[in-house]
Amino acid sequence: MARLRSEPEEFSRPLRRVLVGLLVLVLLGLFLLWRIDSPRVERFRAALVDRALPSMDWALVPVTQAAGMIDQFQSYSSLYAQNQELRRELQQMKAWKEAALQLEQKNARLLDLNQVRLDPKLTHVTGQVLADSGSPFRQSVLINVGARDGILDGWATMDGIGLVGRISGVGERTARVILLTDTNSRIPVTVQPSGQKALLSGDNSALPPLEFLEKADEVRPGDRVVSSGDGGMFPAGLLVGQVVMGTDRRLRVALSADYQRLEFLRVLRSHTLVPITDAGALIAPPLLPDGPDTDAALDVGSQPTRGAAEPSPNAATAEPNADPSTETDAGDG
Amino acid sequence: MAEGIRGSVWMYHGLFLAIALGLLFFRLLPLGSMAGDWPGPDILLCVVFAWVTRRPDWLPVWLLAAVLLTEDMIMMRPPGLWTAIVIIAAEFVRARVALTRELAFVAEWALVAGLMVACLLVYRAVFTVTFLPQPGFGFALLQTLWSILCYPLVVGISRLAFDLRKPMTGEVDRFGRPL
Repeated sequence: MARLRSEPEEFSRPLRRVLVGLLVLVLLGLFLLWRIDSPRVERFRAALVDRALPSMDWALVPVTQAAGMIDQFQSYSSLYAQNQELRRELQQMKAWKEAALQLEQKNARLLDLNQVRLDPKLTHVTGQVLADSGSPFRQSVLINVGARDGILDGWATMDGIGLVGRISGVGERTARVILLTDTNSRIPVTVQPSGQKALLSGDNSALPPLEFLEKADEVRPGDRVVSSGDGGMFPAGLLVGQVVMGTDRRLRVALSADYQRLEFLRVLRSHTLVPITDAGALIAPPLLPDGPDTDAALDVGSQPTRGAAEPSPNAATAEPNADPSTETDAGDG
Repeated sequence: MAEGIRGSVWMYHGLFLAIALGLLFFRLLPLGSMAGDWPGPDILLCVVFAWVTRRPDWLPVWLLAAVLLTEDMIMMRPPGLWTAIVIIAAEFVRARVALTRELAFVAEWALVAGLMVACLLVYRAVFTVTFLPQPGFGFALLQTLWSILCYPLVVGISRLAFDLRKPMTGEVDRFGRPL
């Protein structure tokens, strides 16, 4: 019996060894290919995830909901105390809300006076979080919007309050968001009110550190951190979090976004960036616009109150040229 | 009864696939693993070692490769590297089936622990050589320690649930060949 068994094995064993060796070589080759030509393999990965995960949606959602329900059930015990606390906070918040409303009106008036144009391109797409990367070494989530919805790599992602991360990897129906806490995440930020620029670099901890601060002594715990828009990656002024002092005496950022429950994420449609290619042309006064634009310039000149009417973009460009006429008008009036 | 279950090797292939997909599924759930959390055990690795030590014929290389490569892809790991390392480790155990059959459980546990640490070291060495960013060593070692601690648990559960044990002397398979 034992002989019968061993006979075919004498042939199959070296063959098997060769095949396994080949398999390992192919796998290592795949790894090298990924290391050398990462985008191609990552595209393949995105396509694979895109194909696999939405079909698992029917199973992922109920389990997630059930876990959420258990979570909420546990919080019922502390509900009364929480309720009292919330009432107290609500009282305080009402005062704040009043202040905020007044500030908002004031801000709107000032913006109006300055003729600030808010960027109309800064709209957002909201997506639902499909899956976690699940590993403690990679901080990323998958959301259920993708190339189909016009999502592009590099766009900023926020939850209701603060910046969450950026898009990295877009499939047809899904996109991956690298969170700010991931080791691959580097975001240029500004610390308010000192205006210090720094780099927020994720290090796999809940509080990512601030790096490359020019004057660290001007930054105090409690300062606000917003995105700076340097490098043209993100729009400026998105709330990131607050400066805190880490246990290792490094300045770190407590993120405003609620990383515990990332459920719905906003993907901001950023500008299509125009790269600056040449070193800069001759600096000359802007050319006088011709045709109807000249009329617009005259309109601005004759208009005594600014900001009351809707200004046309041409008016803004033609304004410097129309300055002398404005002065004469003012002298007349 | 046990004969009937042991009959089909294909059933065990399917079972392994189901376990692997189930584990992957639970790790994908968006239940918010926070940054800085302690890493949990790599249960799939425990399952692989537990099966390959006991019944190597239930866990063919192609199945192992397919499952691990899928995990690599979905878990955002560098594709292929971890798969290759685990396959080599599994082949190492497979080639020593005659030895592991004689080992007491504690000795087997020590062998598997050594292999897990070796896998981790090789993985990290390749990361270093290819200049890839990687998490701190203690952090990664913690996961391996967790896996080592979980190994007896996985073995016990496999024993109770799927009747996974080392073949006894003189035991024969469906075709009457000695195992």
